[in-house]
Amino acid sequence: MEIKVTVNGAEKAASVPPETTLLSVLREQWGMTGSKSGCEVGDCGACTVLLDGKPVNACLVLAGQANGRDVLSIEGLGTPNNLDPLQKIFETHASLQCGFCGPGVIMSAKALLNKNPDPTRHDVRDALAGNLCRCTGYVKMIDAVMELAANNKSEAA
Amino acid sequence: MVITVKDGAATDTNTPELLKRADADIKLPAAPHKPGSDLQTIIADVNQQTPAVGQRVVRVDARAHGLGRTEYIDDMTWPNQLFAKVKRAEVAHARITSVDVSEAAKMPGVKATLVGTEIPVNSFGPSYQDQPLINADKVRHVGDPVAAVAAETEQQCIDALKKIKVEYEPLTPIFDAIEAMKDDAPQVHEGKSNIYASKQIKKGDVEKAFAECDHIFEDSFNTQMIEHVPLEPHASAATWDVNGRLLVWSSLGRITLGRADLSRILQIPYNKIRVTATIVGGNFGGKNELTVEPILALLAKKTDRPVRHVFTREDEFLSSTTRHPFFMDYKTGVMNDGTIVARKIKIVCDGGSYCSWSETTMGKGCILAAGPYNIDNLEVNAYAVYTNKVMTGAMRGFGAPQVCFAYESHMDDIAHALGIDPLEIRMKNAFYEGSSSPTGQQLQSVAVRESLQMASERAGWKEA
Amino acid sequence: MRPFEYVSVSNAEEAVKALAAAAPNGKPVAGCTDLLVEIKHEASSAETLVDISQLEELRGIELTDQGLRIGASVTHTEIMDSDLVAEHAPALQDAAHTIGAVQTRTLGTLAGNLVTCVPSMDSGPTLMALEATVNILGSKGTRSSSMEELFVFVRKTSLEADEIITDIVVPTKNLKKPTVFHKFGLRKGQALALVNAAGSLHVKDGKMTDVRISLGAVAPVVIRCLKAEAHLEGKSADDAQVLNEAAEIALSETSPIDDFRASKAYRNELIKILTKRCIEQSIALSQK
Repeated sequence: MEIKVTVNGAEKAASVPPETTLLSVLREQWGMTGSKSGCEVGDCGACTVLLDGKPVNACLVLAGQANGRDVLSIEGLGTPNNLDPLQKIFETHASLQCGFCGPGVIMSAKALLNKNPDPTRHDVRDALAGNLCRCTGYVKMIDAVMELAANNKSEAA
Repeated sequence: MVITVKDGAATDTNTPELLKRADADIKLPAAPHKPGSDLQTIIADVNQQTPAVGQRVVRVDARAHGLGRTEYIDDMTWPNQLFAKVKRAEVAHARITSVDVSEAAKMPGVKATLVGTEIPVNSFGPSYQDQPLINADKVRHVGDPVAAVAAETEQQCIDALKKIKVEYEPLTPIFDAIEAMKDDAPQVHEGKSNIYASKQIKKGDVEKAFAECDHIFEDSFNTQMIEHVPLEPHASAATWDVNGRLLVWSSLGRITLGRADLSRILQIPYNKIRVTATIVGGNFGGKNELTVEPILALLAKKTDRPVRHVFTREDEFLSSTTRHPFFMDYKTGVMNDGTIVARKIKIVCDGGSYCSWSETTMGKGCILAAGPYNIDNLEVNAYAVYTNKVMTGAMRGFGAPQVCFAYESHMDDIAHALGIDPLEIRMKNAFYEGSSSPTGQQLQSVAVRESLQMASERAGWKEA
Repeated sequence: MRPFEYVSVSNAEEAVKALAAAAPNGKPVAGCTDLLVEIKHEASSAETLVDISQLEELRGIELTDQGLRIGASVTHTEIMDSDLVAEHAPALQDAAHTIGAVQTRTLGTLAGNLVTCVPSMDSGPTLMALEATVNILGSKGTRSSSMEELFVFVRKTSLEADEIITDIVVPTKNLKKPTVFHKFGLRKGQALALVNAAGSLHVKDGKMTDVRISLGAVAPVVIRCLKAEAHLEGKSADDAQVLNEAAEIALSETSPIDDFRASKAYRNELIKILTKRCIEQSIALSQK
């Protein structure tokens, strides 16, 4: 089947069998390997992308379901010289270790702050509950998101 | 604590009485600093040489991680690559009577198959080389490899695996490590006792001390098998260059060990093998030995194409190394005031179907089993035992977490029974500077009591 | 993943036609959070997936003369964000929040949760306690069904191969009725329920009326505890003893199992505790 998806602001096309997942299209058709395959069944969150602005497991979205829709992946968030504030604060907080869960966590955090710019710590934990990390214990990720939210708030004030 | 260095000898000038053993003089080796330096001066000296000490640093990999640009093995592609999949046994213990890959070889997209008999030297392992790459004679756990295929796509591999016919003669499996120690237990490795490694520590005279102490406490503890679950599953790829050199990329941590094993398995010299390790998505000990790299090498040789393989999450649970379950029996003799005078420990490590890192894990567990406590009379007997379960290997702590759970739980029980504060009983028995380890090592830079003291203050122990 | 067909349709009628054509191996799909996992684990024979996730007529949350209508393809996140649900059936939001994690809630739909029909489904108890019904469309036309009629067995509903749920309706009489949902899992997120429960009742002149108790993960399907309900009906809302008795009676109506997540004995305790909690908290809500 033919699909057209707007990915990180640009329209991309692919011709893939119906059983292909969005994760597979991103990684194998379009070379966007930032979204990771950790379990393929929607448990680990390493494949989290934003579909029409909302966080989803790309491993559970079929190519046909992504057709005509808008995807934001980690590649669309920032560049080395223009980091997304989340990417920057994860650096200063040393929130990532092996990094494999990182893109998924950052996308989930992005979705949270887009929807709720002033989350409680509980809100952050809830938003990241679908992203598993085996290295860090999550604390520095949560700290980073909370600090970014606080910074945004005081800047806005 | 203030250490004063004077005339080449160090003395502790302000450690509270509680932390001092009455008869202990703290003797440090001669410090390389000016005589009379206090600790603050020593730190300042060191900082002059290495200003980084004490500074905050941004990890060098942080930027790439945050951008999603870190390249793990599964993110790489090789021109003209093939995918590989491994057929894994669905029985825990059986003799293999036949493996037929002929139908699989004809399946769409399949470019090569591989069975155990095609492997030049079909064994590997960090301590004992008791683990086949692909089993030809016998399978020893559910998930043990029995054949492999290489095909154009992963789905073609999966479809081809279904066509591989394996005939088994079932054998009685043994799953219980204690039962496996018995003489009449099914042998996991034919002709070898299931007890494949052991270690003993003997210090003083435990039986005499038990006879003379005020109380004896006995208890048993056991811990469960744990899977590392690195977010990145095991991944590797292999290809050969035109000069016959093997090129391997792997999530493997111990690449010199891996290269040595590859050399031995494939019977090619070290200098014909290049192993590239990449940024790994979590190891925790589970990526410390080969998995399918030799299989990929042979498939790549047959097809003259690069061959890649990533474990599924199910594969990870089925057939990658795990943390050893430990079965621990503790017997401790104490005096009324809580001083430990004797300890006798038996540890049975469930060693899974292959040795992997069991010998070292068992060894570590044995040495650490008594805990960081001064015990003059000690006997530890540790065993690693084969069972028909997945390999147990290295996992952070390497034997320490299991015994720590046991000796600290045991200590709490003893404290409770004697009516002594659990912190106080530990302070009384804990290592101090110059204490002797269970294996006779003179310990230096010992901060057990100081750490306990500081932790107890921060936790509000006295207030609770 | 093994191959299958994917069919995109423009409306519910087309979906039904596509399912009828593909029967018996066609499946409607929305979030795919369960079906794709089944397919990946080779536990599904589905050969044609008919995507109903974006059909307008299956979306939306609104008040109708029947009650609160929730479209079949409304996601759990949409339920959590809905002011209408917050006002008229907030327990549904509590239930939705316990499902999986944010990613699966963004994809997963209310009807999807119902038709997957696992004993531990988190949307089932509240809807059953609220006496919700589903509207169904098939080749033979439309029909309605109660939750009890819908759930037949583990992973088996009463839907025919060509039928889809179009909406779920909480009846007008039960809107704003004091209702509480509780789920107990081994974690707060990404966890299956060991036991889940919903309680719903009114208190009139100090007496409990219209008591409804529904439990999940304690039988092959989500169930009503009819005997426990009858025991509470008409009794004083201050009677702690009668509540304890009802908890024991509810237990007697269940058949929980031992599995690797929990023992039967543990589940038995949870049944009693969660039943009581749901009733006590519903009583407290009624007094607000």
